[in-house]
Amino acid sequence: MSDQGLLTGEHFLLGDYAAAEGAILAGCRFFAGYPITPATEIAERMSTRLPQIDGIYIQMEDELASMNAVLGASWAGVKSMTATSGPGFSLMMENLGLGIMLETPCVLVDVQRGGPSTGLPTLVGQQDMMQARWGTHGDYEIIALCPSSPQELFDLTIRAFNLSEKFRTPVLVMTDAEVGHMTERVVIPQPEEIEIINRPQVRKGDMEPDHFRIYQDTDSDGAEGTVSPMAIAGEGYRFHITGLTHDELGYPAMTAESSEWNIKRLVKKIRAHRDEIIQLEERYLDDAEIVVVSYGISARTSQWPIEQARKAGIRVGYLRLITVWPFPEKRILELAKRIRAFVVPEINMGQICLEVERCAAGQAPVLGVHRLGGDILEPQQVLGAICKAAGRSDLLQTDLQNRQTER
Amino acid sequence: MAHSDMWLEHCGHASDSQSDWVTGLHPMDVLLRGERLPHIWCQGCGLGTALTTFIGALQWLEMNHNWDLDKVSVVSGIGCTGRIAGYIRLDSFHTTHGRAIPFATGLKLANGELKVVVISGDGDIAGIGGNHFIHAARRNLDITVICVNNFNYGMTGGQAGPTTPHGARAVTTQYGNFEHPFNLPYLAAAGGASFVARWTVLHARRLEWTLREAMMHPGFSFVEIIAPCSTSYARWNLEGRGLDPQKLGRRGLEVMKHYQQVGKIAHDTHPKDAAVKVNEKGEINAIIEGIFLNEPKPEFRAAIENQAQSAKERWSAVKKALDRRPKLCGRTDFIDRTDVQLGGFGGQGIMSAGRIIGQAATIYDKIEACFTQSYGPEARGGAAGSQVVVAGEPIHHPHLIAPSSAIIMSQEAYAKYAPNLTADGILLIDDGLVTLPEDHRRDLKTYGIAATQIAEEFGNSRAANSAMLGFWAAIVGAVSREAMRQSLADSVPPKTLEVNLSVFDVGFEKGLALKKDA
Repeated sequence: MSDQGLLTGEHFLLGDYAAAEGAILAGCRFFAGYPITPATEIAERMSTRLPQIDGIYIQMEDELASMNAVLGASWAGVKSMTATSGPGFSLMMENLGLGIMLETPCVLVDVQRGGPSTGLPTLVGQQDMMQARWGTHGDYEIIALCPSSPQELFDLTIRAFNLSEKFRTPVLVMTDAEVGHMTERVVIPQPEEIEIINRPQVRKGDMEPDHFRIYQDTDSDGAEGTVSPMAIAGEGYRFHITGLTHDELGYPAMTAESSEWNIKRLVKKIRAHRDEIIQLEERYLDDAEIVVVSYGISARTSQWPIEQARKAGIRVGYLRLITVWPFPEKRILELAKRIRAFVVPEINMGQICLEVERCAAGQAPVLGVHRLGGDILEPQQVLGAICKAAGRSDLLQTDLQNRQTER
Repeated sequence: MAHSDMWLEHCGHASDSQSDWVTGLHPMDVLLRGERLPHIWCQGCGLGTALTTFIGALQWLEMNHNWDLDKVSVVSGIGCTGRIAGYIRLDSFHTTHGRAIPFATGLKLANGELKVVVISGDGDIAGIGGNHFIHAARRNLDITVICVNNFNYGMTGGQAGPTTPHGARAVTTQYGNFEHPFNLPYLAAAGGASFVARWTVLHARRLEWTLREAMMHPGFSFVEIIAPCSTSYARWNLEGRGLDPQKLGRRGLEVMKHYQQVGKIAHDTHPKDAAVKVNEKGEINAIIEGIFLNEPKPEFRAAIENQAQSAKERWSAVKKALDRRPKLCGRTDFIDRTDVQLGGFGGQGIMSAGRIIGQAATIYDKIEACFTQSYGPEARGGAAGSQVVVAGEPIHHPHLIAPSSAIIMSQEAYAKYAPNLTADGILLIDDGLVTLPEDHRRDLKTYGIAATQIAEEFGNSRAANSAMLGFWAAIVGAVSREAMRQSLADSVPPKTLEVNLSVFDVGFEKGLALKKDA
């Protein structure tokens, strides 16, 4: 077996470490970060692992710098990543925006903890979901993935890199303290079994530098959602890029028309490929009259209550958002037209719940199940909401409430 | 072919409609984005000169040191100076306000072949980006930072900033600046920069020589360029006040001349003594110039690369150990969900014990396990707790739902966790450390083992958790003995392996015996 410093096989691995190993297998060779609980173990793992495979790990002076260093490395042609949690995620918003504007492939892992502000450093939360969508200023589309186990943290970090490379945009892995700090079996395939996507790129000598357009549309208004090849530093293209609204050449172009072109380009390249980006896990939806829509750790802990409710005769289905952004608007509306209600468990006051409500467009009520950070949802809390949504509150008095039945 | 035609061809814009501008008549055209001109800078601004000297230095390096300018990246932040990146025909990055240095850090670290130059203003580098500036200096990464200092925020209309002299006026300091400015060379030197210099734009030739030297310097080099802001700063301060605002170019020139007149070339001045001085009215009356510091120091990227060998050796060792892991066929009987609580105090290996159980279950018994622990400073030193769930099927709820067994190694942990055990749950204690109180739960099946004492007898008290693990494996039976031994072998330092396995076996045998009796 060739050993290129890549970890393979079965391991009992911490979620945060799994994210690091996923990144390495995806080809990430640059990590810049700043210590923050509960994401620190990703940085720690990268600081040990990257020098083993000729990669670079650097601890920057803060998260503003970390995000920028990641963008710089990407423009030098190296796949790059950072990882943080709530307070650091807030600081990264500024340059996440720059990454989106410059169309820079890179990955940001947010191991969510309870907020706002310093909040609950060591304890779980899912309170950054809307910040992931709208946290940096301006109009844009973002890709965010939500793992519910260390294995999936590994898998989705690879997918995040692939999507970021394919669509030339930063991709968020929105995990949480529970999954990041959980140790489980992680199966790492051989490198050749993993699909790796690399950015469309012009290399030295591919074309006349002066014919190169760093943000070229294939058609006049970018309707197809164009992802154009990027050049990297040092290859002779002598390109310019700016966080200002720009034209095809990357030059500042500050008019309403340029802005229309520029922003639509950022939005369309993701919207046009929504079906490809959106990944859902669905169960029991055929006969469902209640659908539990959830993600990450909350989706995982909703499975037992769903099974219990089905045993009690409630036709409840399960929809797990593996991709949270872009949101599966069509699927939610489709379901809304034929079900009785949605139940949305999440560890916040109701964020994705609002999105489900928006997409359901009044066709089905949406019942949120909330826990405000600090701990994962109690199974019977979710079960209670399912019963309530089904109009079967009578069941709540039965032994379904007995948490020991999961045994 | 005329020389100018060659430039024209090199620029490649002769046939390109968007670049009518390029004439090829000026020797610097080749490094300018002609199609972007005219620039946005005011008449009398010092930035044109700053850019000219920079291009001059690059061309000299190309000519005399065979620099491949394709390998030069220019990074800037926001502000008037930040626009330089947009006019120079090199790979150029116009980033966010203050963040040019960390962006440049990423570029340079990811590709050591690149020559990376940051050019930005005083507000960008010393104000919003001040933290990045001192940390980059500290690292001594091989990049060049050129800060064009015009003493105010020019692009937003002339607000005071981190370099505005004390007493000077700006839009926001109409009664005189009540703050004190940074002395940038001193800041850079204190941060750890290995090359520090300053010139005004009117010392164009010396500035260009210094820029060449700075870019060739193997480490963090910093050059401050003092430049007039003809529109804003000059408007409010004695240096330019009273001059016709209709003639900005003239005003800029007068201010530049003033700076030159008060300038004093003094190489090797201690950066501490290089502060820009003002009189009581806030008028600049002394600018020390020259190369203040040029001391080679270990470079940052090289320091990282120096560690690659040790890192690779570490990997080889890890890989070897992983490859040695035996392949067990796993257990075939179904294991019900078993929630295990572990508790003790810091240093007993409560975390590793939980992890060892989980690893044994997943990797060697090939069933499911989920291990969680409490983190944070509160978990260190004092009480320590960890939880592991073992099951024959996927574990949806990662936390303990019904802890049916517990490994308890301190009185405090007993008090905390014993009440949570299920009815008839199995409580395993280190009975050298835990004394059962009068009101001990009679429904629990309680087993004691002098784990710490046993470990001490084997010469390593830290192996006590292994005795508890053996004890647990024998009594609870959710994970096989062989799997536990393998997992233990993967987890403890090789030197202590033998002791740990022996202690584990003692615990296991004792557990078996007690179970038989029960």
